Amino acid sequence: MKFSYSWLTEHLKTSAHFEEIEKKLTSIGLEVEDIQDTGKTYQDFIVGQVLEEKKHPNADKLKLCKVDIGKEKVDVVCGAPNVEKGMKVVYAPVGSTIPVNQMKIKAAKIRGVESYGMMCSEYELGISNEHDGIIRLEEKETIGRSFSEIYGLNDIVIEIGITPNRQDCLGVKGIARDLASAGMGELLERKISREKGSFKSPIKIEIQDNKICSAFAGRYFRNVKNTESPEWLKNKLKSIGLRPISALVDITNFVMFDENRPLHVYDADKIDGKIIVRTANDGESFLALDEKDYHLKNGMCVIADEKKVLGLGGIMGGESTGCSTGTKNVLLESALFDEINTAKTGRNLSILSDARYRFERGIDPNSTLKGIDLATQLILEICGGECSEVELAGNIKENKNEVSTSSSYISRRLGFEVSDKELISILSSLGIETSQTGEVIKCSIPSWRQDIHGEADISEEVIRIKGYENIPISNIRLKSKINKNILNYAQKKLMKARHFIASIEYDELVTFSFTDSKNCAVFGDINKLKIVNPISEELDILRPNLLPNLLQAIKKNKNRNFDSFSIFEIGSQYRSTSPEDQLNVACGIKSGIKTEKSWKNMQTEFDIYDVKQDLTSLIDYLMPGNKKISVSNDCPSWYHPGRSGSIKINNSVIAGYFGELHPRVANQFKIKNKTNIFELYLDELPNTEKKTTNKPVLNLSDFQIVTRDFAFVIDKKVKSEEVVTSAFKVDKELIRNVEIFDLFEDDSLGKDKKSIAIKVTLQSNEKTLAENDISEISSKIIKSVEKSTSGTVRS
Amino acid sequence: MKDFRELETEIKKASDKFTNIESINEFRIKFLGKKGIISLEMKELASLSGDERKQHAEKLNKIKDSVLEIIASKTEELNNEELEKKLNSETLDITLSTSKSYGTIHPISQVIEEVITIFGDLDFFVAEGPEVETDYNNFTALNTSEHHPARQMHDTFYVETETDGMPNVLRTHTSPVQIRSMLKQKPPIRLIAPGKTFRCDNDQTHSPMFHQVEGLVIDQESNMSHLKGCLEIFLKTFFETDRLNMRFRPSHFPFTEPSAEVDIGYTKKGNQLIIGEGEDWLEILGCGMVHPNVLENVNINSNEYQGYAFGMGIERLAMLKYGISDLRTFFDSDLRWNKHYGFSPLNIPSIIGDLS
Repeated sequence: MKFSYSWLTEHLKTSAHFEEIEKKLTSIGLEVEDIQDTGKTYQDFIVGQVLEEKKHPNADKLKLCKVDIGKEKVDVVCGAPNVEKGMKVVYAPVGSTIPVNQMKIKAAKIRGVESYGMMCSEYELGISNEHDGIIRLEEKETIGRSFSEIYGLNDIVIEIGITPNRQDCLGVKGIARDLASAGMGELLERKISREKGSFKSPIKIEIQDNKICSAFAGRYFRNVKNTESPEWLKNKLKSIGLRPISALVDITNFVMFDENRPLHVYDADKIDGKIIVRTANDGESFLALDEKDYHLKNGMCVIADEKKVLGLGGIMGGESTGCSTGTKNVLLESALFDEINTAKTGRNLSILSDARYRFERGIDPNSTLKGIDLATQLILEICGGECSEVELAGNIKENKNEVSTSSSYISRRLGFEVSDKELISILSSLGIETSQTGEVIKCSIPSWRQDIHGEADISEEVIRIKGYENIPISNIRLKSKINKNILNYAQKKLMKARHFIASIEYDELVTFSFTDSKNCAVFGDINKLKIVNPISEELDILRPNLLPNLLQAIKKNKNRNFDSFSIFEIGSQYRSTSPEDQLNVACGIKSGIKTEKSWKNMQTEFDIYDVKQDLTSLIDYLMPGNKKISVSNDCPSWYHPGRSGSIKINNSVIAGYFGELHPRVANQFKIKNKTNIFELYLDELPNTEKKTTNKPVLNLSDFQIVTRDFAFVIDKKVKSEEVVTSAFKVDKELIRNVEIFDLFEDDSLGKDKKSIAIKVTLQSNEKTLAENDISEISSKIIKSVEKSTSGTVRS
Repeated sequence: MKDFRELETEIKKASDKFTNIESINEFRIKFLGKKGIISLEMKELASLSGDERKQHAEKLNKIKDSVLEIIASKTEELNNEELEKKLNSETLDITLSTSKSYGTIHPISQVIEEVITIFGDLDFFVAEGPEVETDYNNFTALNTSEHHPARQMHDTFYVETETDGMPNVLRTHTSPVQIRSMLKQKPPIRLIAPGKTFRCDNDQTHSPMFHQVEGLVIDQESNMSHLKGCLEIFLKTFFETDRLNMRFRPSHFPFTEPSAEVDIGYTKKGNQLIIGEGEDWLEILGCGMVHPNVLENVNINSNEYQGYAFGMGIERLAMLKYGISDLRTFFDSDLRWNKHYGFSPLNIPSIIGDLS
């Protein structure tokens, strides 16, 4: 909401400095967002007259002008197409600053000719977007007069943010009233003459649905002249960024911004019969003042005559009854439209208008007739003519809210003592009448405050006027804890995983929860993930997996010359757009160069064993203690089928996957490097929250450790894990460790064969193992491995 | 009586000629070997008697000890010489470079952990809710009815699923976690809820996804004054400053009454933003006393219980604290940015150690 300081002082008698008012506005909840001292901005600009105008000798499009600026005559080089001899212009002297770009005017040679100052367009002055030519002032303007006076810019323009509850401050008067309540002066009542009207309005009004419009006041004016508005009115509207149109329209705009009372004027000669306020019929359409055709639906509030729709109630008038310079007879409307219905219709048709903005926030019912009176006075004064009596359909209900409260309630909520006396005095400054019975204070809320419904609202009014800076500071530390845990097990798991993964060289990324459906068919059912109103086509679904965005990140960084990637994200992915279908996943990618070629190392690339190790050590970190981790080949389709594995914990659920990205998917994302990924489904990890702080009992053996090596020739397709587990199970007590230390494939071994060598570590808790103990267990190991792998031991 | 003077002279003469370990060995064999001079003399003791034997034995033992002493000290001397020589030949170029080995934690995660650490110390637990929310939890239960003008300021993303006939939304703020938590737990309640939020807005200063942290305190006495106290501790601790100008001013949120926006003072020194003191104000968060309608919506008696709520943007906190200038860079996945603004994984925020 924009208003000028001079406009404000028409409603507020104050001795306060402007700076005080500025501070007070923010402190009562009318946040000052911008202040423009236009008097200062435009102080250097004056009226000049072009005395001579001839072509620039060195440039076709430039002209040399001699300009009379009162005290002297100056040469100005000008590029405007519309400059001509005798024209009155806005002259910016050397040393002035052009508002639109903050350029300082200097005396300069332009294509070899001296130029002193500049003639300005509205665009350059920051008044409008008009930049086709320089401003042509009226003939009568005096040379040397200050431009800001002519345009009424000798003022301070204040822009404040109005929160949705403060509908009462959508007019300058309301702002003045609130400032007066906060001790910034006295509210002035505008003197409005109450015309009775000399005849009955020939246009009758009928409200068919009083739920959507409870009251409609109309007044007929005959023989008006819809001229240009007088300067004071035009300047007022210009000062708050509105473009003057014609007197009748300007008057309704003025009343709206002054009194927060939206009005509308119809060209009465274009109305067929009576005015009917009704709900629209499906399929009806109408051409609005914004020159757009709107298709209406049942339930929308329309103002119609007997033949056609004239306007959308509380939102926008129609083209067919719009007022032009030829308009002679008009009907003035001041009505009360339903808030919710106005909001719905406006949203449905996507029409933003000043009227809608006000009606959907609630309008003071008492402004209905006041608005008619103020507009009548101005119409008669500016446009002449005669007015009818006011025709009122429906009821103006003054639904005054009543709220009961007490100083103890207010004190308890605000955190400091507010006495009855102080409470009543603040309320009365706001126009809230009170009556007290015992502790209870009954408040009668004025009609302009549509937002005060309950005691809590009263507490806000009190502290708003008293000042938030007067709230004391209290300690919030408690004597005893109320929460056993700050983070639960799942939350701790997420945090631990994040730090662990970053500690093994991965950089954490946070990417959008949206992604591009085009890349995602492989990851999930994209039809279940659609966003109805996506921000762009490339972000049209919730991500079924963390990978698509991470893969895009790789692609992007590849273009930034990165060739080694270790990145991860921990976040949610979605099975569908139901609230419960969200899962927590950690996803890491290692791709490209693992170790750079250097004085010390050969260049190596990441492979799936890097991510396998990262994933298993992550699981180990998150779930310390005994567990059985098994690996199998069943991976989702975005993994390379031969180079990937799923990880099962304790033979139950699959907790994660690792492997190489499927070449087809890599291709889709235009990634050429081998991309090794792991995914850990954090919600699937069994809860291993500590039940005791004790660590498991430690049994140490002091007897000698023995190691024995074995090599087996087995089929290529047999998994090495089979060798390890079949050796292990021979004697769970004596065999402490089994490790593969060599692996090779060679034709000499036979077709599709490989050799695996294991080192077995043996130790007893009871004795030093004798040679025959060792050879006995060795032959058992050989038998067990040969049996389960159909291989043979190599001697 | 023998005085073994000759033997002593011989030992001295021989011990001056050591050049290496072998010569020490020869020396040992010559005097202490099976047929060494001292060993032979020892054997001869048996043929002596009485005092003479005792005196000879004493002397010989002394000489033997001195030989052992010479062997030990000369051996050490030679070993040291050898090691010194070896060390002199074993040099490496220590200026050759080595590589680093940690990844980074994203600033958003870092700030969320800092916020949790500070509020955890004040006994706030961490609550959660889903990112896809019901219209009811996101708006209606928070006293924002279907046609409330405040809804238009939210630029809501809608999805195709529905709950109770209303399309579900991507939550526009973390406030629905208040509703979920209050339905689950009776007062006293102290919680924060950090998480992702979404609004259909994308420009220089808006991102369609961003992060917020919500705070909620419900009990029998918490009031505006506690709210001020709570936010003062938080902001001072978070910005790691003892001096903090804080300004509360009236605002409006449908789910709080009274509502306030909080500004903090700052000054600019060159390109640096110094948070705390100064004449200029930065908006940092919104807060207020929980609206009685909200409590009633979750079956909490608003005559008995009251409390406050607050919400703030994680990215904004991160930008102000760490001097990050552009909101959109958080989600850009530019590894140069991540490596520059990211945090060490070992740097876990702590109240007793370092917060950042």
